[in-house]
Formats: sequence, structure tokens, C-alpha cells
Amino acid sequence: MRRRQFIKSAALTALAPGLLRAIPAWAAALNENVIVLDSAGASVTLIDQRTRRISGRIPVGKEPHHLMLLPNGQQLIVADAIGGELNFLNPVSGAYESTLPGIEDPYQIGFSPDRKWFVANCLRLNRVDIYHYYGGHTLKLARRVPLARTPSHMAFTADSKVVFISVQDSNSVAALDLATQTVLWQLPVGPATAGVWMTPGDEYLLVALTGQDAVIAIDWRRQKLVKRIPTGRAAHNFRSLADHRHVLVSNRISNTISIVDMLKLEKVADIQGLRPGPDDCELSADRRWLWVTFRFAREVGVIDMQRQELVDVIGVGRSPHGIYFHDRAPFYDNLPYAEQRPIPVKSL
Amino acid sequence: MILAWPETLWQNLLNLMGEAQTWLFVTWVQPALYHLGMMSYADMAYDATFWFVAGAFQIVLVWIFLRPLESWRPLERWSNRKAVRVDVIYTLISRLGLIGLVFFFTVQPLFDALQAWLQLHGVFNLNLDQYVLGARAHPWLGFVIYFIVLDFAGYWYHRWQHQFQWWWELHAVHHSQRQLSLWADDRNHLLDMFLFQSYLALLALLIGVEPHQFILLTLLSGALQSLQHANIRIHFGWLGERLLVSPRFHRLHHAIGFGHELNHHNRARIYGCNFGVLLPWWDMLFGSADFTTPLQPTGVRAEVEGENYGRGFWAQQWYGVMRMFRQLRRAI
Repeated sequence: MRRRQFIKSAALTALAPGLLRAIPAWAAALNENVIVLDSAGASVTLIDQRTRRISGRIPVGKEPHHLMLLPNGQQLIVADAIGGELNFLNPVSGAYESTLPGIEDPYQIGFSPDRKWFVANCLRLNRVDIYHYYGGHTLKLARRVPLARTPSHMAFTADSKVVFISVQDSNSVAALDLATQTVLWQLPVGPATAGVWMTPGDEYLLVALTGQDAVIAIDWRRQKLVKRIPTGRAAHNFRSLADHRHVLVSNRISNTISIVDMLKLEKVADIQGLRPGPDDCELSADRRWLWVTFRFAREVGVIDMQRQELVDVIGVGRSPHGIYFHDRAPFYDNLPYAEQRPIPVKSL
Repeated sequence: MILAWPETLWQNLLNLMGEAQTWLFVTWVQPALYHLGMMSYADMAYDATFWFVAGAFQIVLVWIFLRPLESWRPLERWSNRKAVRVDVIYTLISRLGLIGLVFFFTVQPLFDALQAWLQLHGVFNLNLDQYVLGARAHPWLGFVIYFIVLDFAGYWYHRWQHQFQWWWELHAVHHSQRQLSLWADDRNHLLDMFLFQSYLALLALLIGVEPHQFILLTLLSGALQSLQHANIRIHFGWLGERLLVSPRFHRLHHAIGFGHELNHHNRARIYGCNFGVLLPWWDMLFGSADFTTPLQPTGVRAEVEGENYGRGFWAQQWYGVMRMFRQLRRAI
């Protein structure tokens, strides 16, 4: 009898941590979560979008920096640069689902709009890996394109013919032809090129300069710098305001987010009073709430876009970077907004 | 519940260090990078700032815990601590990340290129934790694996430091301290520090240590090694001495005539004994453990017999490299 009791209590002791761990994952599956990558903490923080409270934290990879939706909208990919793998999460709850190993140094990742190509910027290895994409988790390496040094962000033309890559340490931007996987040209732009963005109709390529206080507009067809748009110090990344006209630019040193008019190519406003190191942004479907990772404050902030004011701050880890939630406003300005509506996730 | 409090303590400590990192980076480091036109290094500098802050915290905590113990239960009584002062400089250089910074700008790009080349030829990171069931969901399991593997690697590095005469001449800088204290661990030749950093980077490249865990491993290892060198009369007990390298176990490694000399009378441990970094298991496994010899005076015999190993930082560096070249010349 005593032996049976011992076995029972030992089994409960052994299982309890697992059961306790399972509860947040199950609870997380019920909520619509904001999914935030903590690159230095090797984890994903889940924040309940309604209450703005942390609902869970799950270990993912070794250094997750960026994330993006699978083209079918059913899974969210978290790229693990150090681990050399892609982790797949439920895009609504953030629950971990599976892993695809053997993708080397995926820092920034992207799918071409025609869903034929998957591109991984290998920032540490100084190259861009271009894969054929056949749907689901099926990728086949087409070519590795050397691109010194530190290929960072990317943007595709709407016709999926060209991908632009900012080459951070070379202070330049490169254009790669996807069909032949070759470098078409590489253009010096300015110090520490970071975010790249296509304006509506693929008219201009915008490049954020983290080493300066500006975004550079490029006529990419003629490979010509058209205009320098002053923003804030250390301009870093872009996010569409989804109104066919304005794009947001995070400024890492001035701790502001600039609103840039893509037609006039000028800054129209600054959202000020933010926390240190604004980086990636995500906008709610109703365009009311802008969620921002403050990388150097180790926080995520919520900005009320009607008042253009920071209204909430949530501590999330050591280095919050990529951010996503499923019910979001269209992300790209050079693609039809109607095609970017959130697709209901079947597994929920 | 038992496992919860260390995690909470670690999280609170991380938060505190994070606050310091943010302040330092936002107020000083980032503006400096911007004005110097070096913003492409901003992410690296942010991580380096954390290493600096974590190192500073570690130095303070280790001092708060160990210095009173050194005063309360000293193993050796010294008339003064002047000889210890130079070790403080070594500690600051090592633990505040200076070597890491130099390494990043000089050797790290070579390692990245090597990794790129290896991967192009089908040689990938082992990512050891992937082979252990449950390590993905329980990162602490991966931590334990890397702790053991890196300690094993550290044991062999340390043996080689004693085995190869030219290398020993560099390592002798560490052994030349006759007043072992909580500061003595980092007293090493700069070239040797650099070699060790390269060795670790190569290992990390092969086995895929998670950066987050690497920081914890480094902090834990540094704190334990400070304890090993501290001038404290302490015994871990029969079992404890065999689980973790104790001050007693390591002090015997520093003992003149027992721990580290060439041509030792006992051929079974010709290059010395007790090489373990944190775990004495490897010494037990490879026959280099000594748990029984009574404690002896520490230092290097040649120095005791009159050879100059230098008193100040630069003198010790200079004599170390000169001794190394002398040995290399003889070998050639």
C-alpha cells in the first residue's frame, strides 16, 4: 500500500511540471495574442491583445529575430538565426507547432508575392539564400548569393521579379533578380542601411539609414537617389499605415516614429515621447492601435494612433524585436490591401 | 516550487542588469556610435553593453560574498595584500568584456567566414540540445548539457596549457601568484586569454551554444572560479569535493611541486594534477585527481628560486611572452 502511494506521489511529482507548463499553452490557444520575439532571451512572449497582459512565454530557438506569416496564413514563421531553423507557431495564439531545421542563419525572411520564392538574409554569413517554395514547409535551395557585408532587410517588387536587400555594413542596397538569383546592381545609399520599403505602385524604393536621420527615396528602375527625407536620428524600419499614402518609420535614437507621405516623399509628423529603441511595429486592423517593440527598453508599447500617443508599456524580456498579431492592418503598400486580409486559421 | 526561487532570483537580477544596460547604452554607447559613424555595430554594442554590465555585477557580487569570508576564515595569513592588487586589473580586463571586444573585431569575422565555408561544404552546427529529448521545451536541460560539455573542453584546454612548454610559459602568469585570492582567477596572459576565447568560439560554432545560456554559463563559471581561488579555509565534504571543484582541490593544483610542474616525480600525472575547471569528474576519469595531499605553498618554483616573473601588469605580460619565445626557439 505504502509502495503504491509512493509510486503515485512520485508520478505526480514528475508529471506536475509538465501539466503546469501545458496550462498556459492551452490557455494561450484560446486568446488572440500579440506575439513578440525576444532575440536575446531566445523566447517568444505572448501578450493578450485585449488585457495587454502577458499570457505566456515559450522558449523558441536560440536567437529569434524576425517573423512572418506563411503565404497560406495558417502558420507564423519565427526565424532562428543562431539555431539555423524555422519555427512554426499558431499565428493567432502563438502556440508552438513545429520546426524546420537546416535553414542557415535566417535573420530576415520573406516570401515573394507570387509565393514562388523564399528568401533568407544570412546577416552573419554575408549572403542571401534563395529557395524555391512549393507550399507548406517545402523549400528547396535555389542559390546562395554572396552579399558582403551583413545583408539585413528586404522588400519585393509586386511582380516578384526583384528583391531589394539592404547591405548594412556596405552602406548600400542591392537588387537581386529572383528568376536567375543574381545581383542586378548594388547602390551606395548612406551609413548603415536598414529597412527597405516599396511605395504604392512600386514607384520608389525607400531605404532607412540607421547611421543618419533620414530615409532615402530611390528611383530603382534608374538606380538613382531621388530624395533625402529627414526623419529622426537612426531611422530603422518601416510599417504601412494602410491608407495607400503613409508609412511609419521607427527612429532608434530619437525615440520617435515618423509618418512619411509616400506621394510627396516628405515627413508629415512625428510620434514623440516613446521609449528607447523603437524597432518593429504592428498595426491593428482598425488602424487604431500601433504596437511597437522598444528594443533597448526591453518593452513593447501601444500607441493610440488617434491621439498619436504612447498609452501602454509592457516589459517583455531582454531584446524584443519582431512583433505580430493576426488581426492586423495590411502590411505592404505595393500589394493590394484586399489580398492582405487575415485568413481565418483552420486549427483554431 | 523549489526550482522556482532560483529562476525568480535570476529574473530579478536580469531585470536589474537590463535597466543598467539600457541606461548605459542609450545615454553613452549609442550616441557615441552615431557620432562616430559606427551605427552598423549598434546591435553588437547593445549585447556587449550587457556583457559589461553583467561582468560588473558579477565582480561586485563575488566581492560582497567572498571578501568577508577571506577575512573571517583565511587559509593563509598575509602581512598585506599588495601582491593581490594587480589581479584586480586582470579581473576588470577579463570580466568587463575587453578581450571579447578585441576578439569581435579581429577574429570573429574569420570564424563567421569559417562557419559559412563549413556550411557550404555540408558541415553544420551539431546543436547538441537537439539530440536530447525535451531540451527544446526545457531550456535548462540544454544548459546542463552545454555546462558539462564546455567544462570537459575546459579540462583539456587546461591540461594542454601545462603539457606544452611554450604554452605553460604563458599560463605561468596565472600560477606565479603566490597569494591566491578571489581576484586570482583572471590573472592570465593576454595572449592566453585570446587563445581561450578562440577555443570557446570554435566550440560554440561546432556545438551551437545558445547566446542567452552562454552568458549564464560564463557568469556561473566565473563566480565559481573566483571561489576556487579565494583564500578561504573551506571544505566541501567527501562528496562535495567530488561533485564540484573546491578551493582546496584547486589550491593543490597551484601547489609548488605537486600541482603543475613538469617532470613531476609521479609519472602518472607528469604535468600536474587537478586540472578540472568546475567539475572534478574529468580528473577522476583521466587519473589526474588528487584529493589527499595536504595543502602546500602555491606559486612557480622558478620564481621562488629567483627568476623574475614581474610584479606589475605589463612586466608580467612581457616576461610571459619572452619565456614563450625562448621555449619556441629551443623547440625549433
